Amino acid sequence: MMNNSLLHGLVAAIFFLPALALLLLAVPAWFGRRISESTINAIVGSAFAGATTCATLLLAVMYLGGQNVVEVRLGTWFSVEHYFFDWTLVADHLSVPFAWFVALLVGSIGAFSRRYLHQESGYLRYYLLLTLFGASTELVVLAGTLDMVFFGWELVGITSALLIAFFHERRKPVEHGFRAFVTYRVCDVGLLSAAVWMHHSVGSSALSGPTPLTPWGTFSVPEGTAAATFVGAMLLWASMGKGAQAPLGGWLPRAMEGPTPSSAIFYGAISIHLGPYLLLRAGSLLEHAPSVALAVVLVGGTTALHATFVGRVQTDIKSALAYASMTQVGLIFVEIGLGFRYLALAHIVGHACLRSLQILRSPSLLHDHHHLEQAMGRHLPKTGGHLERFVPRRLQPWLFRHALERGYFDAFLIQYVVHSFVSCFRWIDEQDRAWVDLLTSATPDRSAAPQEAREI
Amino acid sequence: MIALVPFSASLAFLLLAGVVARRPDAAQSRSLAITWTGIIWVATSVTTLAAPLITGPVASVEGIVRLLPPPGVTLAPSVFCLLGLVVVSLAPLASHPPKTLARILVLLAGALATVATDNHAIVVALFLSCALVAWLEMRSQPLRDVRAAKLFAYYHSASGFCVLVGTMMLSLGHDTVGIPLVVAGIAIREAVLPVHSWFPAFVESCPLGVVAAFVAPQLGVYAHLALLADGIPGDLAHQVAAVGAVTAVGAAGLGVVQTDARRALAFLIMSQTGLVAFGLENESLVARTGALLTWQVLALATTGYIMCLAALGARRGSLSLKGGGSFARTPRLAAATLILGLASVGFPLTLGFVAEDLLIQGSVQEFPVLGLTLILATAINGMTALRCFFSLFSGSLKHQGELDLRPRERNALTVLLLALLLAGTFPATVLPLIEPVAPHSLDHSQLSADHVERSARSLFTLRRLIAQR
Repeated sequence: MMNNSLLHGLVAAIFFLPALALLLLAVPAWFGRRISESTINAIVGSAFAGATTCATLLLAVMYLGGQNVVEVRLGTWFSVEHYFFDWTLVADHLSVPFAWFVALLVGSIGAFSRRYLHQESGYLRYYLLLTLFGASTELVVLAGTLDMVFFGWELVGITSALLIAFFHERRKPVEHGFRAFVTYRVCDVGLLSAAVWMHHSVGSSALSGPTPLTPWGTFSVPEGTAAATFVGAMLLWASMGKGAQAPLGGWLPRAMEGPTPSSAIFYGAISIHLGPYLLLRAGSLLEHAPSVALAVVLVGGTTALHATFVGRVQTDIKSALAYASMTQVGLIFVEIGLGFRYLALAHIVGHACLRSLQILRSPSLLHDHHHLEQAMGRHLPKTGGHLERFVPRRLQPWLFRHALERGYFDAFLIQYVVHSFVSCFRWIDEQDRAWVDLLTSATPDRSAAPQEAREI
Repeated sequence: MIALVPFSASLAFLLLAGVVARRPDAAQSRSLAITWTGIIWVATSVTTLAAPLITGPVASVEGIVRLLPPPGVTLAPSVFCLLGLVVVSLAPLASHPPKTLARILVLLAGALATVATDNHAIVVALFLSCALVAWLEMRSQPLRDVRAAKLFAYYHSASGFCVLVGTMMLSLGHDTVGIPLVVAGIAIREAVLPVHSWFPAFVESCPLGVVAAFVAPQLGVYAHLALLADGIPGDLAHQVAAVGAVTAVGAAGLGVVQTDARRALAFLIMSQTGLVAFGLENESLVARTGALLTWQVLALATTGYIMCLAALGARRGSLSLKGGGSFARTPRLAAATLILGLASVGFPLTLGFVAEDLLIQGSVQEFPVLGLTLILATAINGMTALRCFFSLFSGSLKHQGELDLRPRERNALTVLLLALLLAGTFPATVLPLIEPVAPHSLDHSQLSADHVERSARSLFTLRRLIAQR
């Protein structure tokens, strides 16, 4: 009994410590109190150090006690008639390593950023967003229902967009932040649709216990192949946005406009792997809907091929790393689609560690090169040219152009989806204005429209 | 049947409007309005919370007097008073002279008086009076947009005519003619597609305080509940729901392509209104509860959002989405604009999330396709809120020396944000006051032991949560 309470406390603390840190930073900031950099570091550092310790202890206790799942029911948040929104945290073979990893990485990036952003005007804003991201990700990872996943998922999306636009005085980061957010929102439609349909068909969106096929809790499977396929397809769509899969991944290289530490944790380590995480949770759905599993393999395979070609022609290190991330996440999708779940989990952890380190080092790339060249006493040998040897010479120019144009995916989406949408609604708006002009028998003249006066 | 709390608050607002209009100094009149609106809000909220403890003749006189409006609308008086507090606290002086401020208070008084009764004649009279007050305000603007005022007059004459004749028909028992007429009148007032053209022009041309006071209480929703208490026939109900869903998605699409924040705001509000209209026509209690909660959240969050834009407009002069602006000069105004914008479109951590979750989850049973379409609308609305934020507060270093939130503005927004965040964190305390609404009914006479018990449950839940914390 005591052991259970301890475990429950540990699971809850992994989420609540970062949430508390967020509150401690946000309230004084709203009231205009100045918080010193050392106080901010102490709050954020303590929260994530605490969360890491709790996750480590939880891992140890669960391993030593041979416990596969710890479920913490925090209660029903709200309910009306048959519908209820439960708060349940689940610690199992999938969520605990992830939660540990998230707490450790966010804490480490927080410590790294101390110097990186020292005396930056947006210091507090950065840490607020980082803490919100940490708490939201822990929520997604430990969520016992798809509703809770959606709750945290949305918050991860907004923090990502706001951090990309961190250098708000420049136009490009802001545009790129908005682009990332648009992609997220479009894909979040899939996640919410899946949650709604789960309630509609199963009556709940809660995780069901581990099975021999799925070693951790997975979402319940709706009855009938069609329903399972629909929910699975919606979850795949949701994971494509966060996982920057083709053809939606154009936001990822642009997202590197944010501060380097946040790029490392979002697009090298955690945020980009939330898509595969969601698919790992959807393991039973993929078993029951083979067409979705096939789609996961196709999406991942296409993305891996596309990104590896495009990444090779990038001329800046951050874009090259972004496409490298995309390639690896594509491969992880393929592994999940083929049912190699533990391999995918190991791949996620390994890739996240390597890539975040690479992104953190990217600003000092030239310095590192010079250092290496001085140590070796000659130019560094050319690397990464293995693929070219297998590509027929006649195909190489075509592939080169394809890579330079980023597979035409961005152009296609902007030209045929975004522009069509905007043109369509602008046309409707123009018709509306014309109707107003007709009704009021006036030529369009907006000069008479009052402006808010400048007096406060 | 009259509900005492909103009726008293309405009288207090009318008195206050009279006093405020006579003050020659704009700053003084605003201070007076803030103080007394705050007092009225506190009194209303305390009475709402303490209602279960009040018994005897004050609490109810069978068939004549009640303390609070019925379940589903119980929170409305507190919500309207709070939105009044936010409006007067953030109203810029130059665009909101004492007379405008007084009209805002009259509009709030009208909204409170409307929810204080279920008498059809009074509801219709107040419904029309509020439109008249808003039109008079548009006419009295020194730099008035004649076209917008004309448009407003055309549409609201039609709306008023439909509601008036429809209600008369209903009272004579001609439901087949009466119901469609009332629905049409309310649709025009709520600016659903395609009878919405007055609305963007109104939001663009009227002082934003007046826009908030006229639009945020959403009297059309109450008129729907009160005048169509027996429900709309099945086919028509489905058509109304479909129109609501089309408005939610269409207006969301129109909002995200705008180049002016005011016009984007207009379409954002329309989209949310479409969601409410859709939810009210559902058979599911979950969806209806979601619709009513969305109504209340919309009143609060949208008012805050509108008034943040008003405060920004007063500082900058333009709310164009093309120029960009400096975040660094006004970080708290920017943060409030972002949070309230996201709250009004149902983002997590706020009450809006709970409202839209209930609305969507509840509607899928009856309208699977339309229910899923609403998800698209909420997604696009989120894009509009963030686009407005980015366009108004970033992309440029230029500034005009604008100031961040003043203490009076910050205090009002703090109360508003606290209400939205706390209610969003503990929705179980709010839902009992919204949830028990019967299908399409607003029967004041049934508001007795059941309501008192549920209100008490809400109060005890709140106390228990406080004790736990």
